[in-house]
Amino acid sequence: MEQMIGRGREAITMIVDPDSFQENQVGGVSFPADYGPGAVVGTAALEQQPITILAIDAQAVNPRFPVVYFGIIGMEEAYKMACAVYETIQADRQKPVSEKRPLLLIVDTPGNAPGKVEEIYGMNKATGAYQLALAEARKCGHAVIAMVIGRAISGGFLCHGLQADHILALPKAYGTMIHVMPLTSISRITKIDVEQLEVLSQENPVFAAGVDFFYQLGGVEEIVPDPGRMRERITAHIAEVKALKSEGSFDRSGPWSRGELGAVRGGRRTRKAVLAQMESEFSAIADKYIK
Amino acid sequence: MNTDGLMEMSFYSATARRRASQLVDPGTFSELLAPNDRLVSPHLPELGEAVSFDDGVVTGVGRIGARPVFLISQEGRFIGGAVGEIHGAKMVGIFRLALQAYETILDREGRVPEERRPAILISFDTGGVRLHEANAGLLAHAEIMDMIQETKGKIPVISLIGSKVGCFGGMGFVAAATDVIVMSSLGRLGLTGPEVIEQEIGKEEFDASDKSLISRTTGGRHRYIMQDCNVLVDDTIRAFRRAVEEILALPYEEICHYRRIGTYPLVQEQMALVQQAAELMPGDSMDVWRCYGNDEPELLPEWELSEFLCAVRRRPKEVP
Amino acid sequence: MALNHLEFSYDGVAGASIPADWSHSGVVGSGDMEVLLTRKAQGGKVVVKVCTPVCGFDQVWDKVLAHFVAESGCGDLVIEINDNNATPFIVSLRLQQALSEARGGDLQ
Repeated sequence: MEQMIGRGREAITMIVDPDSFQENQVGGVSFPADYGPGAVVGTAALEQQPITILAIDAQAVNPRFPVVYFGIIGMEEAYKMACAVYETIQADRQKPVSEKRPLLLIVDTPGNAPGKVEEIYGMNKATGAYQLALAEARKCGHAVIAMVIGRAISGGFLCHGLQADHILALPKAYGTMIHVMPLTSISRITKIDVEQLEVLSQENPVFAAGVDFFYQLGGVEEIVPDPGRMRERITAHIAEVKALKSEGSFDRSGPWSRGELGAVRGGRRTRKAVLAQMESEFSAIADKYIK
Repeated sequence: MNTDGLMEMSFYSATARRRASQLVDPGTFSELLAPNDRLVSPHLPELGEAVSFDDGVVTGVGRIGARPVFLISQEGRFIGGAVGEIHGAKMVGIFRLALQAYETILDREGRVPEERRPAILISFDTGGVRLHEANAGLLAHAEIMDMIQETKGKIPVISLIGSKVGCFGGMGFVAAATDVIVMSSLGRLGLTGPEVIEQEIGKEEFDASDKSLISRTTGGRHRYIMQDCNVLVDDTIRAFRRAVEEILALPYEEICHYRRIGTYPLVQEQMALVQQAAELMPGDSMDVWRCYGNDEPELLPEWELSEFLCAVRRRPKEVP
Repeated sequence: MALNHLEFSYDGVAGASIPADWSHSGVVGSGDMEVLLTRKAQGGKVVVKVCTPVCGFDQVWDKVLAHFVAESGCGDLVIEINDNNATPFIVSLRLQQALSEARGGDLQ
């Protein structure tokens, strides 16, 4: 089966209306062509409606920040995507929720840039800024959809993906990878045999690597069977999220909702018990604190 | 019990529970999901790893004056303060309760008086996601970022960083996303920890055994110069407590001016900083300190805190 | 793979429990442990539950715990321990600290 890893630009073409993608144009801004080359941003049309695209170009190399290549998200890339999100929010500020354009994240990243310069200037701010922007877009009514076509790994997935309303992923057979760390590395750190970890992960998806486990944990809403179906499924999810938001149901998509989904699918049961217990303990003493 | 003596205690070596209880008015701290709830990780035993009754994080509520203060205090001694399913859910739970408290006051009174506006304090001591339950930890981080965005315009969130493990991994951007960051010189804040940089890129890029390099790159003083840390304090619980009181005495609008990210103008300011990084390409933080007008940067780590605060030149801020 | 759960019971001093319903101390750091003491009227008996990743040292636990109960003169208690490879010396020390804290002693 043909893998999609490293083919973020092709994925855009496969998903949006033919010849509709205008790279580097979002709202009132045009980004310089060489800025944050690992991130591809722009505006396209999907079923004749405008959509903001935020993708990763794994073939690009950032000439200014040598650790940024292979789909790694550096400071320029994260801030560029954050800008594109804020521009999108501004462009549709006056529009009702039903007319706010969606944002599509095409996900194929091994992580955030690990380097000394990045730490000196604060890569944590760059990835944090982009996540806050996405959360703001989601909360003010835009549908934010993530499509995992390749690697969605640890901090990279948090940065570019996990703030979406809905997350879709291609199946494992297409080479899709979702994890924090491969089992081999977990094995090295926990000193437990890989074979044993593999057996354990069949029972408990909580530390295992793979799309199917994230599905059980509620970390992925839907597995799209093949790349040819991406356009159709993304369109459907945009409509679904739009409908929820139009009726004011903002907590039925996004990270909180995936927490609830994790309990429904059985992968994350303890989270819910924790939240319920805390709420009940606080309600017994709330009068002492909220006068 | 001599509370004054405890307040003089080092923040760096204090346990999570001590930090939590002493950051609020004496006798007001109530722990939520305390150890006697005995809710331990169901995942760690499967991997033969020791469990803890609080899963490495103390959560609760207290008061400072009339203000309800919701607390999260991480314990770095338990698996490096790493975030698993319960640990992460407890953090999310505190955000939920604080936001609900805000809504309750708003509903009852039609407005939220400044002196009773709820606040959240997070005392970080963590390297981020707990590998033993990595996927749940990862998903919890996303929920916490969602919650932080939800607090915007409602309640202040203050980060306190000065414990042993520091604040790294996903929690590094959680801290960056909060309204105010208070650190001691011993505090460490970053995304990719020194060992990981060394492992990924090599010892030439970062020698993780070089303590002063780590301090210069991620420490409280560097973060203060960069304007990432807003208030730099001595390593005592009392000093952190005083900083929190002073911040919370400000009107909420003013507290929001401490933010480094979270709005379009702030992002543009950070982009200008990245531009500067590309031009300067510092081999060491000291190159950056010099560029802000600190002529003898090698002396900055050596000074007493009071001297440092008087003499240091920080990055000029563009967005007020 | 799982954690090892041990349970011990000793004759302590009736009425020599702790003032509060429960008291907690310690941190499950590497080579360390936490202690949760719960007051329970059970004719002076002291029940100790240990949860530890270490196997095969049941007799060592028994000796250390029996010694603690006898020395401290406590009773009517349930003691729950989450251990992470603490040495017998640390176990004794943490138990003494736990009891002292529970009885309002110095919080060091």
